[in-house]
Amino acid sequence: MRKAFSLRLLTATRYALFEQARNRFALGLLVAFVPVWYYLFGLIVPSDSLAFKFWATGTLLQVNGQDLTYITAGLNAMTLIVGFMFFASTHTGILFDRRLVLSGYPQTILILAKLLALGSVTALISLYASLVLWLFWHPGHPISLPLIWLGFWAAALIYGSFGVLLGVLLTNELAGFFLVIMLSLIDTGLQNPLGNPVGNQPSLKAFPSFGAMQLDVAGGFTTAVPWGDLWLSLAWWGGFAMLGLLIFWWRTRARSVRALPLVPPGGSAHLVGLSQEAGSR
Amino acid sequence: MGEPVLRVQDIHKAFGRHKVLRGVDFSVSPGTLVGVVGENGAGKSTLLKILAGELRPSRGQIFRRGALGYCPQQVVLNTALTVNQHLDYFRAAYDQPDLRYAEALIERLNYQQYRAAVVSTLSGGTQQKLNLTLALMHQPTVLLLDEPYQGFDWETYLRFWDLTSELREQGCAVVIISHLFFEQKRFDVLYHLEHGRLALPQAAAEREGVVR
Repeated sequence: MRKAFSLRLLTATRYALFEQARNRFALGLLVAFVPVWYYLFGLIVPSDSLAFKFWATGTLLQVNGQDLTYITAGLNAMTLIVGFMFFASTHTGILFDRRLVLSGYPQTILILAKLLALGSVTALISLYASLVLWLFWHPGHPISLPLIWLGFWAAALIYGSFGVLLGVLLTNELAGFFLVIMLSLIDTGLQNPLGNPVGNQPSLKAFPSFGAMQLDVAGGFTTAVPWGDLWLSLAWWGGFAMLGLLIFWWRTRARSVRALPLVPPGGSAHLVGLSQEAGSR
Repeated sequence: MGEPVLRVQDIHKAFGRHKVLRGVDFSVSPGTLVGVVGENGAGKSTLLKILAGELRPSRGQIFRRGALGYCPQQVVLNTALTVNQHLDYFRAAYDQPDLRYAEALIERLNYQQYRAAVVSTLSGGTQQKLNLTLALMHQPTVLLLDEPYQGFDWETYLRFWDLTSELREQGCAVVIISHLFFEQKRFDVLYHLEHGRLALPQAAAEREGVVR
């Protein structure tokens, strides 16, 4: 029983990862778009000082506007790509997943596999985005890179699960891409006070990437570790993921009528209804 | 014929006010090939989806014994995975110890040269072969096929019928739905889905002298 569980989980996770690795367009975007985005932001935004509200300590930090914008560029590029990747795979794969469920694949294992794939893919992508950032900007203290990576990872998790949610909700592919782009642009753009009149306002706390931005600013400009922002980001991720996977469960479940056993002649075998049969051979 | 392995009782299905199925009853015994024919929009696919557990009926009950194989009308595959990866995935789904029967099916349907190919690169006909293989590879007791030979060339079409005959001889209960059957003699029972109900089986109708 345990062996079958492990084998199925391993198989589903492997193919969920494989599917993402086969998304050549997204991989191309990662390789090309992320460094180009950093470069363009570095080119356009001056190094003037900017006031940024760091909510963990309540202080108004004076930071280099260009460095701060590198963070925004990283968050924006990553959330767009990760949101697109997980929206596309969920949207195109839901009928296949339902066929797997009808063939006996337990839904809980498919859901676990999706979470594992989401966690590992976003960890890798956010590490990549942090390392590329390092080519443009060295914040300077030992925990900078881990904290920036953590912030990026948190944002990627949130947008990956947002992609999953849109993938199970929407039937129109264009609508999904459009929503990912719009939310990412508005959300990550507003967190940066550069030319933004609502910058540093408490209302920004209501946006998904608020915690991630605070984590990245902590990594870039302070030595503090804002744990509260990490939990806030995890709450956004948990909310999107739970809602998305709940709808996934609903849409892929085996529907059936109530089962009643029938006894065949002399039979040790018996007829079972579809609902009892769905999970086993 | 033995006790039925599939029994369908008084299945109704409505989409809003539109009643598609209005009380479908039938049974399928082991080693029987049953056809359901009907015009476009008669509710054939709806019926098969209900039998497969994809749709919930508005009313009625279904009983089944043994493993189910279901081949949907539209090819349902993962375009990012190869043929081999599909087999591996469904081996885990069906909890099968090996892929010997699946490999034999691939040889039989003559697409072994594409086993390492990604599905998105396959022709429509080869995708349909894989679609069918996934429904058969665990040697089900009850097999539901929805227009299973769409996209097949003539040779594959004939191989499909040979395979279906073998399955029937081995005791599999096969239900095939289509809007058109050229070879009605192949079926043990042929139902007509009309006005949401299954009309008298063709064989019985002929025995009873009913002219259609």
